[in-house]
Amino acid sequence: MSALDRLRARHRSPTAPLLALSASGQLGYGIPEPAFTAGLARRPDFIGCDMGSVDPGPYYLGAGRMATNPEVTRRDLRLVLTGARRLDVPLLLGTAGTAGAEPHLAATLAMIRDIAAAEGLHFRLASIRADIPPAVVATAQAEGRLHPLGPCPTPTGDEIMRSRIVGQMGVEAFSRALATGADVVIAGRACDTAVFAAIPHLLGYPMALAMHMAKIIECTSICCVPGGRDAMLGELNHDGFVLESMNPVRHATPTSVAAHSLYEQSDPFGVAEPEGLLRLDHVQYTALDAHRTRVSGATWQPATALRVKIEGALWEGERAVLLAGSADPGFIAAIDEILAAVEVTARRLFPHEFRLFPRIYGRHGVSLWSDVTPDAPPREICVVVECVAQQSDIAIGALTVFKQYLLHHGFRGRLSTAGNVAFPLTPPELSAGAAYRFSLYHLMEVTDTAGLFPVAVENL
Amino acid sequence: MKLREMASVLRSKNAGPLTLTVDILFASAEDYARATASPQLSAPAVAKAYGVAPTVVELLPVPQALAVKINLPRPIVAGSPGDRDVYGAQQHVPLLDLDI
Repeated sequence: MSALDRLRARHRSPTAPLLALSASGQLGYGIPEPAFTAGLARRPDFIGCDMGSVDPGPYYLGAGRMATNPEVTRRDLRLVLTGARRLDVPLLLGTAGTAGAEPHLAATLAMIRDIAAAEGLHFRLASIRADIPPAVVATAQAEGRLHPLGPCPTPTGDEIMRSRIVGQMGVEAFSRALATGADVVIAGRACDTAVFAAIPHLLGYPMALAMHMAKIIECTSICCVPGGRDAMLGELNHDGFVLESMNPVRHATPTSVAAHSLYEQSDPFGVAEPEGLLRLDHVQYTALDAHRTRVSGATWQPATALRVKIEGALWEGERAVLLAGSADPGFIAAIDEILAAVEVTARRLFPHEFRLFPRIYGRHGVSLWSDVTPDAPPREICVVVECVAQQSDIAIGALTVFKQYLLHHGFRGRLSTAGNVAFPLTPPELSAGAAYRFSLYHLMEVTDTAGLFPVAVENL
Repeated sequence: MKLREMASVLRSKNAGPLTLTVDILFASAEDYARATASPQLSAPAVAKAYGVAPTVVELLPVPQALAVKINLPRPIVAGSPGDRDVYGAQQHVPLLDLDI
């Protein structure tokens, strides 16, 4: 009998509440232990955690590496795994290893197996892959079944074929994994909500409420004032759910929870999921006390067509970075023409293909929109020059030439003839590894998700 | 009054790598009502602050949360070579000095 079967046996009554414990919205950065322990003491019916995101950028998907430190990741996995097994409740984890592709899933599963062996834990482990073969995406594009989720360059067929691509699985994939009798489910790229909505859905709770609760608790205590990363408990009924942070200083208030529907989400009233659309137009938030809020009123429109959100990362080259500072008003005033002239010289002396992206911190280093002009010249600037080339030697070589001519460029009115810039480091040009970009952030129309997200089972 | 003095939260973040989303939260219903009534907190005024076309700015009042949400397309896909703000977490600044 699996952990889910035991849960089913306990949840025959439609009025019985279901307790979901969200352990982490970013597993691997250090789960705060007191709140998680307090959550376990409430005897939740299942534990969920999210382990990844598209936020840190395309590098992790492209390179197949985790954004988190292995030692801290292992610590967090041990915490949730031993906690779930001690209570004998299902543990679900989504977007393994930051980006949820095959190398991330494999690295996470290897840690799970190590921990199980070290702790003497025995359970059934299901894993769900999320890699989408590039040929499948290329075919979808050729057939007009690929739709961008915002303005972005249209990927060529060749760019699609060279990308590492994952799809965001939904409740359906977790349901299949749980149906194998698994006690622990480790998923590749997944919707954050699916991690927390799958079990309530299987137990017959309304999808609207399950999804809405999932959407909030997947970020743990961020929906509270003050927000934080402590474990969050969701208590689900058939007509609403109650939110409660496991850290007593973090309070879920009607306003803080309502405001959370805006977080990292462009539409505050609708959340698109593979299985349907969650509508939040008529949601009510009621304070139960100073610490807990009850939520009800979300609605659910089942999808008429299956669409999977896909993400693809494409290798752009090898990257190097140059760091240089200046506090000289003459240099700062002339910085644009100096950088342009130095680039011309560097390209003449080092005739290879490379791309340069200078950023001037102190002046327009941060804003994505260049029209934002400062009131006064900055007292200091930092010039960060990114260089991308097909080989690391070329990227570093270009900056090695660039830095020397930046140091000695004879701009008009120069007094500082011994050197124009302050280098904070030696060498001031650094190799920064591979550079990637998101080649795909699209919705793909599909006819079947079971084939896209295959489940594998092992007994530990 | 500047928006920075009026808002309790003024934050930006990516909503996926193609879209930037800005949340402006107010501490009271009065502040929310005053801010949303101001022509300075409108799609054209916001577009001017960022130096973009008004047609690309989406501005959504969210009364339940005493909040206003603003969406803009990112000029560069997050994390691509040449990007300046991978998370989009520092793009709220042009709105700080809107005069409400």
